Amino acid sequence: MAFNLTRRKFLQTASLAAAAVPLSKVVSADTGVTKAPLDAKGTFGDQTVVGGICEMCFWRCQLVGKVRDGRLMKLEGNPKSIDNGTAICARGNAGVKLLYDPDRLKYPLKNVGKRGAPKWKRVTWQEALDECGNGLNQVTKKYGAKGIAVFPHGASAKYPMHYFERTVGTHNVSEASFFQCRGIRDTAYVATIGKAPGEKVDMANTKVLFFLGTHIGENIHVSHVKQYVQGLQNGAKLVVADPRFSASAAKADIWVQIKPGTDTAYVLAIMNYLVQNNKYDADFVEDHTAGFDEFSEAIKEWTLEKAAATCEIPAAQIKEVAELLAANAPNVAIHPGRHVSWYGNDFQRERALGCLTALLGAFYVKGGWVPPKGPKVSGISWKKHDHGNEHNLNYNHEEDEKRYPFNPPGTPTELIRDCAISGKPYPIKGCVVWGQNPMQTIPGQEKMKKVFQQMDFVMCVDVMPTDVTLWADILLPEASYLERYDYIKTGTQWNLADEHQQFIAPRMPLVAPMFERKDQVYITNELAKRMGHAAEIPVGSLEEMTEKSLASVDLSIAKIKAEDGIHIQPGKDPYGLPEDFEVQLYNEDLADAGFPGAPTYIPVPEVPKGYARLLYGRAPVHTFNRSQNNVWLHNAMPINPIWINDHAAAKMGLMDGDTVSVVNSEGIASGTTTTVKVTPGIRKDCVYMYHGYGSASPFMTVGKNAGVDDQKLISILAIDPETGCSGMRNNFVKLVKNGKVLDIPA
Amino acid sequence: MQYGMIIDLERCVGCHACTIACKAEWEVPVANGRNWVNRLGPTMTPEGLASTYYPGLCNHCDAPLCVEACPADQVEMTFTDAKSGKTKTLTVAATWKDPFDGTVQIDKERCLGCGACADACPYGARYVNPDLADDNSMGKADKCTYCKPRVEAGLDPACVQTCIAGARIFGDLDDPNSAVSKYVKKGARGIEPHGGHLGPNSRYYGNKRDISLLFSTSTPELADLGMTRRRAMLATLVKPSINKARDIGLLGLAGAMLVKKMSEEK
Repeated sequence: MAFNLTRRKFLQTASLAAAAVPLSKVVSADTGVTKAPLDAKGTFGDQTVVGGICEMCFWRCQLVGKVRDGRLMKLEGNPKSIDNGTAICARGNAGVKLLYDPDRLKYPLKNVGKRGAPKWKRVTWQEALDECGNGLNQVTKKYGAKGIAVFPHGASAKYPMHYFERTVGTHNVSEASFFQCRGIRDTAYVATIGKAPGEKVDMANTKVLFFLGTHIGENIHVSHVKQYVQGLQNGAKLVVADPRFSASAAKADIWVQIKPGTDTAYVLAIMNYLVQNNKYDADFVEDHTAGFDEFSEAIKEWTLEKAAATCEIPAAQIKEVAELLAANAPNVAIHPGRHVSWYGNDFQRERALGCLTALLGAFYVKGGWVPPKGPKVSGISWKKHDHGNEHNLNYNHEEDEKRYPFNPPGTPTELIRDCAISGKPYPIKGCVVWGQNPMQTIPGQEKMKKVFQQMDFVMCVDVMPTDVTLWADILLPEASYLERYDYIKTGTQWNLADEHQQFIAPRMPLVAPMFERKDQVYITNELAKRMGHAAEIPVGSLEEMTEKSLASVDLSIAKIKAEDGIHIQPGKDPYGLPEDFEVQLYNEDLADAGFPGAPTYIPVPEVPKGYARLLYGRAPVHTFNRSQNNVWLHNAMPINPIWINDHAAAKMGLMDGDTVSVVNSEGIASGTTTTVKVTPGIRKDCVYMYHGYGSASPFMTVGKNAGVDDQKLISILAIDPETGCSGMRNNFVKLVKNGKVLDIPA
Repeated sequence: MQYGMIIDLERCVGCHACTIACKAEWEVPVANGRNWVNRLGPTMTPEGLASTYYPGLCNHCDAPLCVEACPADQVEMTFTDAKSGKTKTLTVAATWKDPFDGTVQIDKERCLGCGACADACPYGARYVNPDLADDNSMGKADKCTYCKPRVEAGLDPACVQTCIAGARIFGDLDDPNSAVSKYVKKGARGIEPHGGHLGPNSRYYGNKRDISLLFSTSTPELADLGMTRRRAMLATLVKPSINKARDIGLLGLAGAMLVKKMSEEK
């Protein structure tokens, strides 16, 4: 590996431009050999470049770069930030290793081999863009705009996504951040409180934190963690319902070791207890909710005893939590979660969380759900056009209604994939993948492969040669978040109780792109020119886009730079319930559409004998599957051990640290191995692993085959009926040791 | 003055930011670390089910074994107190404990790269940095300096600056009013090896069950100093061909371990 270059070897191969070799050991231009200083001099003396907005995850902390001789040495939190401050997480710190990853895409590539087993030939941008333009034009000519499917993810994908959706006119866009992640949460809350909840719980100032599966500590977003830690330091009680003793459970006052899939029943029982015992906020319910009678009638079957039996937890503990919440209401933080695409019954669970918040009167109050009042900056993008519903796969023309009426923006993934594979109601023959890796974000890998196999043309744009890029005909190298203008991050001070302030921080490049990497505006505009949309191009460059957006708030790039990368202005008090705020405890639109109007528990498939339910979650050093080739992050947690209950392991003859592979109930094998983590901190009916490991791309020399790819094992698809989003936790696995498949005892 | 660091495990969320920031700041090779985060548990402790972290780093011990182990020629070195300007001259090998700020530092120019100090450290806080290999060595000893150059420039250590949970607190343990001293009064303590009296100055604070888990899993054994001294001696004898000396030392070490293992098995 290039990273293990000794200093001597480095001196011999100093021209190796892509290697991540520290520049403090510079070679003299005259002699070619100079004794390098033995002590690293530290980056604190290096030039500070402002304007970085992190995108190692999507929380978007504000950064500065420490730059030495044109090379980014280190990333730090911008000291001016009122959000993350000088703090950034492991991933944020490791952005340097994404920037200089030797495996990063450098040039446009054409696949002269097969899809899935590519042979890459370097081509010019001109040739690559012509091929993309041709490929997509052929598809639209034959099949119309609807013949193109788009899988976007991240800030850079927004502009091209809008191009394909609005200008070209395809409905067939599936964003993983919605359909495999938080879309259910957002639409469930829209159906409950009229808006998406984000994770806007005032944890820093709360008295009780209530988490369902939320595992802060393993799931890291800096200012969110700051709020969480502050809340705990202030003495807030923490309740964590999780089948596993997660990072949050380890800090909890009450750990609810709940049976997977039954969370909604748990919340219903808490709510029913509050209602039956008159421990809910009657004033709030009277003034700010609708449908209380239908709601309380619908949930009344959920006695403590019934939920205790369903969730396999003590009735007394449910009561204890309900009492704790009631005693501290309204200053309680019912966390809406983030990745909530769990079981295919998730819309109802998210609705239940919104309703629980309402019963406790915990909206817009200290320690409750409180949306901060941030500044509004206008965006610039492609003009909207109405493309009707004729080719909308989520529209049932016979019934004249949507199939999944509460879908997040875009078209539910399975509708697109089924249409592509069956050719019905129409063929989908062109595919644009931009920053998403659907091989590892969307369940059902074999299905995804079929989708790609039947395409006439596939193009991918990414920074790394991820698993999906193997399926591209043309693969384009993108400038990373450290090398381009882009997203304008806005927000407020992290602690809502502090002086009210707002900030505006546009992403500005910390270093120039290397090799032939280009940004999304360049690439999209070049496609648009080739597809006959030159006249509609809204903006010529990312810099211009940023400048125009900033002008909407009387700012400019020059001004922001003069203000050290972040504009700060007085803010507004976020507390105080808007008069017209209303919570639909019972939602009639839902009932009209044939769904339960009040939150309802829908049981999930039971674990077959000999198997355990596969659960997954986040590693603190990784973001989804995006960071697995980052050598610093990889080194921090090289594989994803599979957690198994200690009693189950003992019966199976498994020892902590044993190497195993995994096979699911449909016979799909992990292919790669990991180790077992034997612990009392997980129930017997499930196993757990971190998501975002086990890349199958041979071009990812660090992440390839490192650990097990949980997504590969998620082949049974559950679809959330209201939203069309994926549920991914109804898959069951066994472990394989030394070639022997081991039953997991119940 | 004695610099020290507190890790507050009530705050720590185990995010590993400290380890990566350090790597960037000091160009630490990928495979090495000046600090680390070991994830502990979930394990049953006498205080209940626990899961926490061991964010480790050099302890800048009161009686550092690594300093004693250094076989490099001793030289006179004059130290200056950054605050008072006072000076003190000590006779030191290639690694020493600073008489003014209490940190343990290395002179890489004089380091033989033999690794004796790394072997002597029970915490595994030192490594031989292969990026610094030259004709006479496989590298130079390297470790956490408590970010001395940053601290002298008025900054926090890199790990402290980036800590997202405010879980790392740095300061003077000799100053009773410092934040670190207040933590010590509240019960923060260092991890002393079994049978050792090193006086570690990186100290841990947390609830009972987390501290129980940390100390039960992460208290190290003292190194076999006989072996370490043997290797160090070899290194000084054969300085010009230090690589060979290292190999011999390793062979000896391997042999000794084999004998030890065999005798244990018996």
